[in-house]
Amino acid sequence: MADVERLFRTYNAALVRYLTRRLGDCDWAEDVAQETFVRALRQTSIQNERAWLFAVATNLVRDEARKDMRRRKHLALLAEEERDEVVEPEETTLERAQEAAMARKAVDGLAERDRLALLMREEGLDYSEIAEALQLSPGSVGTTLSRARRRLVETYEALQKSREEREKNAAS
Amino acid sequence: MQHPDEGTIHSWLDGALSPDESARLEAHVKECPQCAAAVAEARGFIAASSRILTALDNAPRGVIPAAAPKKRIDPMVWRVAATVLVVAAGTLVVVRDRASDERPISAAADRGTILEKRASLPERAPAAMGPAQIVADATIPKAAASKAPASKAAAIELARKTLASDSGSGIRARENNESAKAGVMMQAGQSAAGSGYVGGAAPTTQPLLAPSHVAGAVAMDAATESEPLKVVGTPRRIGVRVTLYEVAPGDTVTLTEPMFTALNSVVVTGTATASVAQQATGKSAEAPSKARANAPTVVTTPDSQRTDAILSTSSASAPAPAPQNGLNSIAWTDLATGNTLTLTGRISKARLQEIKIRIERERATAAAKKNP
Repeated sequence: MADVERLFRTYNAALVRYLTRRLGDCDWAEDVAQETFVRALRQTSIQNERAWLFAVATNLVRDEARKDMRRRKHLALLAEEERDEVVEPEETTLERAQEAAMARKAVDGLAERDRLALLMREEGLDYSEIAEALQLSPGSVGTTLSRARRRLVETYEALQKSREEREKNAAS
Repeated sequence: MQHPDEGTIHSWLDGALSPDESARLEAHVKECPQCAAAVAEARGFIAASSRILTALDNAPRGVIPAAAPKKRIDPMVWRVAATVLVVAAGTLVVVRDRASDERPISAAADRGTILEKRASLPERAPAAMGPAQIVADATIPKAAASKAPASKAAAIELARKTLASDSGSGIRARENNESAKAGVMMQAGQSAAGSGYVGGAAPTTQPLLAPSHVAGAVAMDAATESEPLKVVGTPRRIGVRVTLYEVAPGDTVTLTEPMFTALNSVVVTGTATASVAQQATGKSAEAPSKARANAPTVVTTPDSQRTDAILSTSSASAPAPAPQNGLNSIAWTDLATGNTLTLTGRISKARLQEIKIRIERERATAAAKKNP
């Protein structure tokens, strides 16, 4: 029990961030993270804790997404509608909201494996952990990451460029 | 060394290469401008993707709805709670009733009671009331009813039965049995909320029934707040004393108490204890039977000019007054004054009953202070 407490304290923040980036919703991310730690409770021993946690969380997301993708989509749509009505907190400026939207779009444009590898790497997982969590060969992680980063940045920059052009057109 | 691929460069920058590999690559990059450029680009990608991903951290909440806003307690819950309490109180009364039947009739009669007496002096002491005005049934002559101690007992009986049956639909079946037995036809079958008279009010000052009443009140207290009712206004109206109580922010109830003495109308709910009365008084049997034997009757004294003073017709043959615009009202007789008090508000009957009990208690406390 104390072990899970330690696991939680050590990895919860990173796991939630990873899941938030992956899912685009804090609540959902927290739910999945909690479920991950609940699964950890049932384990007698975990060899590589971080890899295990990220792998389980990833699988939970995948399973859930498979199970009720349609429902999620619908809810996300509703949430978006509601978000439009809700007054954003002060610090969330229009600029930041646009950046977030573009980032989301760029991340969503990645292949699932690339995306997950990248998000895990961002949370500090080393190559062997990423390989374990995603069942990749350790040698392919570098390639996966380089591809993911390049694509992410290029997509984002393209979105940024088209936005700037739109704004320029709107201004003129 | 041949030019490293992009993946290897990223692996190197991520510190994933072995020390040997790292050293070799580092040496190569120093000498190869092409690879140095590739490394610079990779560094840019790593930094940029980290930055881009950071933008995702302010993800909205909301796909899973946040906790729903706190709801007020469903009025139905109050209704059910009140029903349960009234049933409990009623059962107690019936049980006690059986035991107290053994008591001498005069004991009950001495306590005197008046049922649904309309409009008399507001501050009249019970002792000054004279013979209780009771019309339990048309089959009981008024004179007999008002004088015969046995009829008073019958009236008490009625009060108890009424209390026992004043619980709405929850115990409708049982109530009907009671009614059939006692000849009391309350609104039972008609109004789920058990509107109209509250027979339970009558025994407020009756020691005989006090314990069960207190039990009910105490039980009610558990379900409701116990701070004194807040009087928010006493608008002047001709002939009546009106008190506005605030029961919840924005929710007020109106207590109406008549001030006129001219009205002497007496209304009784149902044929009430006619059988008891008939057994108890020989006179009753000779009484002219104006009304249908089993039909509940509303009787007003002839001198009652103002029929509008009869605030609530609780005859079983007439449907219970339907709440208008969510306005509910209950009426009962204050034994201390003999007045009919009417409580009106846009809240459920069950809640009105609770407030009624609180008002009664406060009035009793005030009266005790006045006449210790």
